[in-house]
This record gives sequence, C-alpha cells and structure tokens, in this order.
Amino acid sequence: MRNPMSPGQTPSQHNSTLAISPFIARGTRQQQIPISSRNLNQPQEKQDTNHSRNDPPYQSIVSSPLGQRTSQPFNSSTNLTTPHQELRKDSRFEAGEHVTTLTTTTTNTTTDIDISELSSIERLRLWRHDSLMQHMYQTAEYVGNKIYSITGDPNDAFWLAQGFYYKGEYLRAVELLSKDNLESISIMCRYLITLCLFKLNKFDEALDIIGESNPFSEESNKSKKLQSDGGIKLESSLCYLRGKIYSALNHFSKAKESFKEAILIDVKNFEAFEELTNKCLLTPQEEWDIIESLDFSILSDNEEMIKNLYMIHSSKLINTNKILEAQKVLIDEYNLETNVDVISSKTEMLYNSCDFDKCLVLCEKYLKTQDALNPKILPTYISCLHELGAKNKLFLISHKLAEQIPKSAITWFSVGTYYLTMNKIHEARKFFSKSSIIDPNFAPSWLGFAHTFSIEGEQDQALTAYSTAARFFPGVHLPNLFLGMQYMSSNTLSLAEEYFTLAYDICPNDPLLLNEMGVMYFKKEEYEKSKKYLNKAMDEIKHKLYSNSKTAVSIQTNLGHTYRKLGDNERAIECFKYVLQDSEKDPDLYVTLGFLYLQTKQLQKGIDCLHRALAIKPGMTSAQELLTHALELNVIVSLDENHPLVVSSRIHGLDNKDGSLYNTSKRRKSVSSSFSSNALPKKIRTESNDNANDGHDEEMMDIE
Amino acid sequence: MMVQDNLIDIIHDTKSSLRRSVLELSQWKLHKSAKWSAEALQGMADQQVPRYVVDPDESPIRDDSVKSRMNYELPQVNAGMSEQEYDLYLLASSLFDSKEFDRCSYFLKDVVEPRLKFLKLYCSYLSWDKKTIESTETMLMVGESSRIQSPDNDSNEDNINNPVFSENKNKSDVQISEDGQQTSVTILLNELKEYIEQHAFNEQIDGLGLALLYYLKGVLLSRQGNKSHAITAFLKSLSFYSFNWTCWVELLDCVSRPDESLILTKHLAEKFELKESNNIFTQSSTENNIMIKFFKLALYQEIGGNIDEFLMNLEYLLSISPNFAYLKSQHALVYYNHMDYISSEKLFNQIIKSDPYRLEDLDVYSNILYVMQKHSKLAYLAQFVSQIDKFRAESCCIAANYYSSRQEHEKSIMYFRRALTLDKKSTGAWTLMGHEFVELKNSNAAIECYRRAIDIDERDFKAWYGLGQAYEVSDMHLYSLYYFQRACTIRPLDRRMWQALASCYAKMNNSKESIKCYQRALQLSNNVDQDIVLHYELAKQYEKLLDTESCRSNMLKCVELDRSMEGVITDEVVQATIWLANYEIKLKNYETAYNYAIGITNGTSLQIDSARYIARLCREKMK
Repeated sequence: MRNPMSPGQTPSQHNSTLAISPFIARGTRQQQIPISSRNLNQPQEKQDTNHSRNDPPYQSIVSSPLGQRTSQPFNSSTNLTTPHQELRKDSRFEAGEHVTTLTTTTTNTTTDIDISELSSIERLRLWRHDSLMQHMYQTAEYVGNKIYSITGDPNDAFWLAQGFYYKGEYLRAVELLSKDNLESISIMCRYLITLCLFKLNKFDEALDIIGESNPFSEESNKSKKLQSDGGIKLESSLCYLRGKIYSALNHFSKAKESFKEAILIDVKNFEAFEELTNKCLLTPQEEWDIIESLDFSILSDNEEMIKNLYMIHSSKLINTNKILEAQKVLIDEYNLETNVDVISSKTEMLYNSCDFDKCLVLCEKYLKTQDALNPKILPTYISCLHELGAKNKLFLISHKLAEQIPKSAITWFSVGTYYLTMNKIHEARKFFSKSSIIDPNFAPSWLGFAHTFSIEGEQDQALTAYSTAARFFPGVHLPNLFLGMQYMSSNTLSLAEEYFTLAYDICPNDPLLLNEMGVMYFKKEEYEKSKKYLNKAMDEIKHKLYSNSKTAVSIQTNLGHTYRKLGDNERAIECFKYVLQDSEKDPDLYVTLGFLYLQTKQLQKGIDCLHRALAIKPGMTSAQELLTHALELNVIVSLDENHPLVVSSRIHGLDNKDGSLYNTSKRRKSVSSSFSSNALPKKIRTESNDNANDGHDEEMMDIE
Repeated sequence: MMVQDNLIDIIHDTKSSLRRSVLELSQWKLHKSAKWSAEALQGMADQQVPRYVVDPDESPIRDDSVKSRMNYELPQVNAGMSEQEYDLYLLASSLFDSKEFDRCSYFLKDVVEPRLKFLKLYCSYLSWDKKTIESTETMLMVGESSRIQSPDNDSNEDNINNPVFSENKNKSDVQISEDGQQTSVTILLNELKEYIEQHAFNEQIDGLGLALLYYLKGVLLSRQGNKSHAITAFLKSLSFYSFNWTCWVELLDCVSRPDESLILTKHLAEKFELKESNNIFTQSSTENNIMIKFFKLALYQEIGGNIDEFLMNLEYLLSISPNFAYLKSQHALVYYNHMDYISSEKLFNQIIKSDPYRLEDLDVYSNILYVMQKHSKLAYLAQFVSQIDKFRAESCCIAANYYSSRQEHEKSIMYFRRALTLDKKSTGAWTLMGHEFVELKNSNAAIECYRRAIDIDERDFKAWYGLGQAYEVSDMHLYSLYYFQRACTIRPLDRRMWQALASCYAKMNNSKESIKCYQRALQLSNNVDQDIVLHYELAKQYEKLLDTESCRSNMLKCVELDRSMEGVITDEVVQATIWLANYEIKLKNYETAYNYAIGITNGTSLQIDSARYIARLCREKMK
C-alpha cells in the first residue's frame, strides 16, 4: 500500500487532495498497521456492533470487512463531522482504511483520534480546515497564513491559496502560488494556479503552466493498476482543466481529446463526462464507445449504478433499449425513480420521440415537487412548451426565471422561445443572442438564434449562424441538418447532400434527417435512394414516434410521392390514405390521391378526392383541370355490367342478370300487404293530385 | 302455442333489458340512448305479460328459466365499483351534469375501472367537441361581417345571400389550449387504444364498460373518417351490450352504400354474436334480439333493400311495442319515402295525438304538409312547436318550411340557418336551404348548401340531385352528370334519377348511354304521362343514332299511349305525330301521313302550321 503524503510531500497525479487533508494524512499514518491486524482478529464482533449503527441502504456494504471501519453514527454533532462525512461519502467504501481514521467524534469506535495527541501545527491545520469548510475564509486565511509562515510546506500554501480561491481573490492566489516555484514542486499548486488563471480568463498563461498535453500520459499506463484513494485523481482533473482551457480558446478537437483523457484516467471525473455529453462534443456513437471503454471497476460496489447513470446520461438518439434497461435497473434496484438524472433522461427520450404531452407532465411533476430551477430539466421543458404552443405557460416560466435566475442562459433562452412562439422574431433573436452570450456553450440558444434568421428567410445569416453552431457543437447533427435544409430550400442540392451526409455520419437514425435526405434525393430524382431513406425513417419512427406526429405524417407523404414517381400506384395510394386519415386535411394531398385514383382507373374515387380538394381550396387550378378531365372521361364510360350505377341497382334487390328491371318492378307492384305502401305510386296517380308531387325536387325542376 | 310462449318470453326479456338499459345508460350519461329505451319501454306498456307464477304443474326445465327470470334484478348503481371509485363516480357524475367536462375528466384522470375510464374519455371528447364548435362559430361571425364570399356570386342583395361560406372548413382538428394541453380525436383515440390493449378485462364483469369504451372508439373513428374500423368497433360494443340505440344509429351512419349494407346485414345474421353477460335470455340470440330488428328497420329507411322483409319486421315490432312513437314515425316515414303523403300525414296526426310534445321527425311532417299545400295546418304546427321549444333544430325547420310556403324565402333561409346552428348534422336542413336559394335564383349559394349536406351525409340523394340540377341550370353538364350518377346510385329505383341522367347524357351527345338510361326510367315509370315523355325522348335519341326503326316504334308508342289516355294532348305527342307524318311521307305513305297531320289540333302555331303544310302536301300527292 502506498504511503500517503506526510507534510512536505505533495500528492502525485495519482492522488486526490484527500491525501493532504489533515485528518487523512495523520490518521493513515497512525492507524495503518493496527487496522489490518485488528481486522483479522475480530471481524465477527465488529459486525454485530456495526449493524445497529448503520443506515439500512448501506448494510450490504457495511457487512464487508472494510465497511465496518467506516461505520459511525451520522448524527454525532461536533462541527468537525461535516467535512468528514462529506469525505467519507466519496471514499468510504473502497478506502475504508483511510477513512476510519477521520472520525473525530468521541464515539466508541476504536480508531478515534484524540485531539490532545496532535501536535500544535496539526491542531492549527484542523482549525484552518474547519473554517474553510464553514466558509469562514477570513479565519482560514488568518490561520493558514500563520501555518504557512511556520512550516513553509507547499501543502499549506495550497490550502491558503484555496482560501483565496474561495473568496474569489484569484490574483492573490496566483501570486502566492507562483512564489517559491511552488507550481513545479506541487502538482496540486499547479492545478490551483491554472484554475485561477482560467478564472481570470488568462487562457494562454494557464496553458503555459498546465502544459499543452498531459505530461503523465506515458506513466498512466503503468500506474493504472495503482490503488486509488477514492477521490478524483489529480491527473484527471488537470486534463479536465486543460480541456476547459482549450474549449475557451475554441480548440474544440483538442478540448475533446483532453476531456476524453480525463474521463479515461478517472471514471469519477463526472464533469469531464458531462462536458463531453452536454456540450455535444462527441457524436452519439463516440459517447457510447467511451462508456464501453471506461473502467468502472475502480468503483467496486458502485460500479453498476454509476455505469447505468452514465449510460442514461449519454445520447438518447441511439441505443434506446440499453438506456431503458439502465433506467429500469436504476429505478428498481437503486430506488432512484425520482432522481433528477433518471427523470431528465426520461424526459429527453420522450421529447425525442415527440411524445410532448407525457414529457410535459413528467417535467412539470419534477419541477413542481423537487427543484423548480433545475438546469437539466428546464431546457427540455421549455422546448416542449414551444412544441405544444403553450404560450401562457411559457410566459409564466420566463417571468419566473427572469426574476429568480436572471444571469442564467436558460432564462433568456426561455424568453426567446416565448417570443418565437408568439412569432415575434426580432425579439426572439435578441434574447437568444443574449442567452448565448451568457453561455456560449448552450446549444439550444444557438440553434434558436439561427432559426430566427431561417424563419425570416435570411438565407446567408441563417447559414452563418448554423455553421457556427456546427463548429461549436461537433457532436450534434442538428446544425448540419439545418444547414442542409437551408441549402435545399435554395435548391443547392449538392451542398445539401454534403451537409446531410455529415449529419448522417453523426447520427444515422434520426427520422427527421432521414426524411430530409429522402426529400433531397427525391428532388435529385434519385427515387430509389429516396425510397430507401424514407423507408428507413419509417422504420425508425415505428417504435419511437406517435403515428400522428408531424414527422410521421410528412414521412408518409414523401414516401407516397416517391412511390408515385416509381410508378407503384397502389402503395402510393395507401400512404396518402393513411396520411389523410390521421392528419389535417391538405388539398394538395387530395389532388395527388385523386390523380392516383384516376391513374388506377378508379374514376369515382378520383372524382370524390378532387371534389374534396376543391371544397377545401376552391381556386385550385390543378384540381379543376383534373376534375374536368375526369368528368369528361365519366361521360364516355359506358354503363356496362361493371359500372357502379348498374352494380348498385342490382344490389337493390333487382338481381336479374340481364339488367331488366321491368319484371321486378312489376312484381313489386303485385305484392299486396297490409301496409300497401308499395302500391303507393299507383294510388297517387289515380288521385291525380297535382300537388302531390315530390315537393322540393319538383320545384327545382320548374326552374329549369 | 310454442310460438306464443316464445313471444311472451321475448316481450318479458325485452322489457327487462330496456329497463336495465335505461338505468345503466343514464348512469353513464348516454342520455339519448336511455331516452330511447325508456320510450320503447313505455310503448310496451299495454303489453300484458302474464306474471310468472311458479306453477307446480310446469315441467322442471321450464321452471328453472322462470325462476331465473323472476330473480332477475335490476343492477345496483354501484355494482362492481369499490367505495372509492363509487365516490369518484358520484363527483364525476355531478360535474358532468353541470357540464363541467374538463373538470370531470381531470378528476378521473387516473382511473382504471373501464366505465369510469369511458366517462373520462367521453368528457374529454365532449369538451373538445364543444371547443371546436365554439371556435368555428366565432369564425362564422367574423366571416359574415367581412362578407367573404366566392367572387363569382352574381346575386348579393343582402346578408341572406351570404350564407355560411365563410366558416373555416380548414380548421385544425387539434384543440390546443394556451397551457399546452392538447386534445384531438387522434390523441384520445391513442389513449383509448392503449388502455384497451394494456388492461385485461373480464368480459363477464366489465361487459358494460367494454361496450361503452368500444362505443366511444367507434364514435372517434367515425369522426376521423375511418368508417370501416368504426363499424368494427360499434359491432364489438353492440355484441357486449345491444340495448344502446345511439350505437346502432352511429353504426348506421357509417354505412353509405347499398353493398355495404348488404354485407352488414349478412354479418349480423351470420357472424354477429351477442355476449350473454349483458344480453339476457332470448335477447342473446341474434334471431330474437329486438335491437337488431330495429336496426334493420332503420337500415332500410336509410339505404333501402327488400321491402317485404321490412314490412314484416315493422309488423313484428309493432306487435311488441305498439305505442312506441319511434316505430310509428318510422312507419310514417316509409309512406313519405314512397310518396304516399296522405297515409303518412294520417300517421303523423296519430303520433301527435298520443305524444304531442315529441319533436323528433316532425320536420318531415311539415315537409308533407308543405308538399300537400296544407298551409293552415303547417302554420298551426309551426306555432305549436315553437311554443314547445323554439331552439330545437326541428322546430326551426318547421318554421322555415312555413315561411317558404308563404314565399318568404329570406325568412325561411334564416330559420334554416338557425336550425343548422342548433344541429350542424341536420342534412335535411342543408338541402332544404339549398332549395330556398334556388328559389332565390342564387345557384352558387344553393350549390354550397348541397355540398354541405353531402359532406355530412353522402347518402342524401336529394342533395346530389339538387347539385346536379343546379349545375344543369348553369350549363355545366359534365358536373351535373356526375352528381346525377351519384343520386342515381343511391336511389336506383327512382325514375326521376334515371331521367335526369338520361337527359344529361343526351346533352353531352352520348346517345347510347342516354338510351340505356331512358329505358331504365321507362321500366320504373308508373305514370302514362311520363311514359309518353320518355318514349318521345327515346325516339329522339334513336333518331340521332339514325336508328329509324326504333325511333319509329317509340314515336308510335307515344301516340298510342296518348290515344288510350284520352287526356290532354301534350307537346311531345304533337311532336311525335308530326315526326311520324314526315316519316310516312318519306315512305310515300301519304294517306297515313295525312291522317297523322290532320290529327293535330293543339299545339303551338308553328306546329299547327307545319301540320297544315304536311296535310296539304299529302293531299297533293294523293291526288
């Protein structure tokens, strides 16, 4: 087992700051050997005592020998417990041996620290640490300053600078740490100084200090097997910070590499993972590849849970089954049903499948009951409201956000969306741009910004905005898709195809994209290809989308047109019929369907369809022309056996094959019954009542 | 004896079923059906069913069924519901009754019990429907004030000539509230389908619930225009619970062609099964089920079929429920449809006597009075019904007919519009309004009205016929031909349809088809006057085809018929005679020609002149 740092030694890149936290540093040194021996000696006895003291959810962990050590009542209440508990939460399971020594409470665990045994410096360090934890930075600075003056230990300098950092005095921290060449001695100091420079927006200087690439990359292979102390490896944090700097300098590919490195070095570095997924740096497939390659074993007991959590966090465009499975596991086994990550993953999936109603319900439930300002749920919620045209709610939420978190990008995104929904494009653009200024990495705002140009038909500006978005968010296919759509609307099909292909490379199974590609090939008159993509789109939505969603309808329509072009009239008719059944009535569709019926020689149906089209839109010349043509045909069609007229009169009880109605009608007359209603016509005649004609119909004849 | 027993059983079972359906259906808010059942029950009041007395002499088998019949109880209101569900039902029920549909469906949003689920979806549907109507109505107002109208409308004197064109037909089916709760038929349908798929039902217990759900499914599907699936849903609902009259009516509305009606009747006779859980005893067999008989009656009225079967059916039903106003009015409608207005009027008089405040079908009665020109009676009827309820579509139609009979067409149109606002589904009102516009010589408006009627009900042959005539007036024979064809498809046994079709073909110079149609019209004609006209027209078409022989024979028939009739000599006869005279001259049979020519004493001066000329010519030749 590695010996942890004593004062004067700084942690290496494989460690976390846990190594120099005062209690761990002291405790491990003191207790290291006794623990292991005691462990062997009296496991049974320990277990009994611990059972009673532990929260039920952790019992399985507690019964493992390591876990026993960590056991400690949570309610013990000296001031010092707070930081330890936090630390213990990170590290209790796999680093139990270290953590046991953290306990500063006077409970009956044998491994307690007796404060009186500590040296005076160490007591000062405790004082400093606690005041940091309690955000009493003046005190921390005061004490820390004294400690550093006394010891000159780089670690003490680090804690002092930490205090400065907390207070936002980044320059002082930089100044302090750059004295005495600390940053070259202590890796932690180097991390902190870079962080401060980053905060000061001095990206180049920060990059100088942290180095352009990971200096430990060769070592990391060797040291992979090294036992972690339960915290986040500093090496990973450094990589993450490097990534942040690159991203601030707009070097997205380098940033992406750094983040990837960070997460590969230490799977616990969630921020790196989130950076990769949320900021859309990776394509969906890459995200899943990373998850597959990550080594979760380091988390021992938490492996499954964290792996599933990471899974539901990644792109929902592919592997939906895996995500659903992960959700199920998390809900069933870890009782995380109401946890924000599970909920947000669910809402995103619902949103992607256009099931806005359910998505809205879920979002509202979470926002109402748990966290009204959750930055994960809110964007989905706002987009959802936009899709549903819920102006009123958008108005309310925008106001609420503007009151409560005016400095957040989401707030102004919400305001912009509201104006977009109200069709006030100028205002919308203003607020979208405000939002993206606040957070340049917030993709929805960028896209909204670009949409405002696209809606107004400002081709060039829209193109610029979309391509900026495409550069910023290389992992999302949407900017490329929209670019393609823009080019398609200006009939630049080759460019459109290029961008669609780019989008297709990123995400090959978005029905929206497949639909657009189908349309593009249709326009290029490559119908077979078009059919291929549209059919693929249909497959995608079959198990994802509701059949009445706009996307589904437009795919069906396009497919219908493609079949028509390919000469497959029957299938085309089916597509159109399906569309007309489910969606709003579109006169153009009726015309097309009417045309197809005419082509397949179903005259009456064709005429009916054309009539419908004209009923909706009386001025349609195409429909009128077709109708006249059809009606002309109708005159020529002879009244033979198969004419609907003849068929229907045969059904009316006149089954004589020769079509002679004479006999049957005579028969009818001869039937006498108590009601004599069938002898009525005769009766009328005999009475020869001039008035007794068929009312209104006869009146009509008079006009002629 | 056996038959008699059977009849008694049927009457008894029908009564119990009706009683039960009145209770259950009004509990689940299908008030129209419940009303119908109750009326039917009342119509059976005179039927004395011998009380089942347990007679020790009877055979034990018989005994059993008697006992179970006696023990048959009316369902409890809260049957099959937990206490909680029942309380929820009470709340929902009272909310429904106070027409707070949104609230009602909100409180029921999580229910699992099928009947409650039905109520929830039904409320959502009603609320959607109400909102849709409201939004269209506002559009209607807006359109009127701005007088949006088809530009080529030639007559636009006043507001009355701007009918409801401006109503937004293109309206979206989805009602989106500002708060993002959207409802549309599709969404409701999805929810319903999902619910039915995901829950396992016990047919024994949930029979009624399933019947209600399938009924709603059918209504939604039919609203969406998916008739064939709607029929399936309705049939399913009916197999669970047949005593739901509106369901039968909706089913009827899904059938628009005679061949469909044939298929449906066949299905009902052969494959349709009534589940026994809710259809008791004799009523669970398709032969004895009284509702199927009622349905067949209505099917005949709408679509036509075998009249003998219909009459048998009617007789049978009247024997079971002799005082049922619905049946009587069906009876009257048959007379009306066969143009026996006198008998029909008599029956209506009876109905009004026995149930004076019943407004259903009285608009047909007013049509009869209108046609028979009984103005005073019509005036009385109009006064009377508007006293009962001014705001019923029927009473508005009657008033409209009254005004039309007084030649006040503007007022008449106003009343028809009122009727249509009250009941947008009334095709009769649309068609009649179309006729009124024709009176006003506004054929564009008339066409629009007829189109509306057809949009609502494709089976309305009068509307098709009206359309055809309106287009004929404006010389658009292409169109009118098609519409006549449609009308004729619906009423293939109506001479007028064939005649109109034939004249249309003639005008399009398609003599071959025209002849076919005239021949058919001739077969269906019962009137010598008409026969003369038809024969003459036929002859004219044959002449066009240069088929002189057929032409002559028809001309001859024309003249012969006239002779046998000894009535007024019509224009056609004169024309035919002249033609025959000319024909004989060509054959050099001057004597015959002369005889024809001197026979002409009536007619226009031109005709008489030409007759004289022929006579003179013949005399010269004969010399």
